[in-house]
Amino acid sequence: MVIDPLVSSLRIAGSGLQSQSARLRIVAENIANAQSTGSAAGSDPYARKTITFESALDRASGENLVAVKSVGVDATPFRTEHLPGNPAADDKGDVKLPNVDLLFEMADMREANRSYEANLQVVKQSREMISQTIDLLRT
Amino acid sequence: MQPLALFSLASQNASWLSTRQATIANNVANANTPGYRAADVQPFSAVLSHLNLPMATTSAGHIQPASFGGGKVNVKTADSWDVLYSGNSVDLEQEMMKAGDVNRAHALNVNITRSFHQMLMNAVKS
Repeated sequence: MVIDPLVSSLRIAGSGLQSQSARLRIVAENIANAQSTGSAAGSDPYARKTITFESALDRASGENLVAVKSVGVDATPFRTEHLPGNPAADDKGDVKLPNVDLLFEMADMREANRSYEANLQVVKQSREMISQTIDLLRT
Repeated sequence: MQPLALFSLASQNASWLSTRQATIANNVANANTPGYRAADVQPFSAVLSHLNLPMATTSAGHIQPASFGGGKVNVKTADSWDVLYSGNSVDLEQEMMKAGDVNRAHALNVNITRSFHQMLMNAVKS
């Protein structure tokens, strides 16, 4: 099946928008849980999530879409703070806090934002090209 | 060259431009995919000079290959403005410039087709 390249470019950019918003969702989860400690004494807190993408071939149309490859867990060690009054503190009074660094999350958010904008730009231009071609019929 | 060949030239160019736009969309969508290499299509002059002979279909099961423009070539690493540590060679600024180029060329192509069509209609009507 041969699909018009302009239509397929809309679909490809759409898959890009989808994966970048999945990335923004992960960033939001990380930021929201930046202070989430474990429930029991001495237990592990929220672990930062990571996301990777892969290029996925859509066999029906031959388009090279982008998809989320995996959502992983960041393996960097947790921060510890001495907070004896915290319910999650161990017998020495240390609390494990999540390995979320807000600076990283902000940088990640900006990058996702930038890629999302670029995909939107492609959608805009493809639509413009399609409507230019349709306008040919109106003259 | 017959003057009416302009229509076939314009439609060939439009098809090349839309293939290029799809390639750019692909690059932008994969801007954060590790190991992805940016791609581009052959220049239009290469498409024009290449004799585009269709393959003979001698049986109902034979499939015609997509006319042209399916010939994507990978951009050499040196041609890309930026290669990331993850092996990704997509540079968003470069892709935006290419997309702007394609858009402008497509507007030109459409307007040429329109004015040629008008010329033809004027000749037919008067």
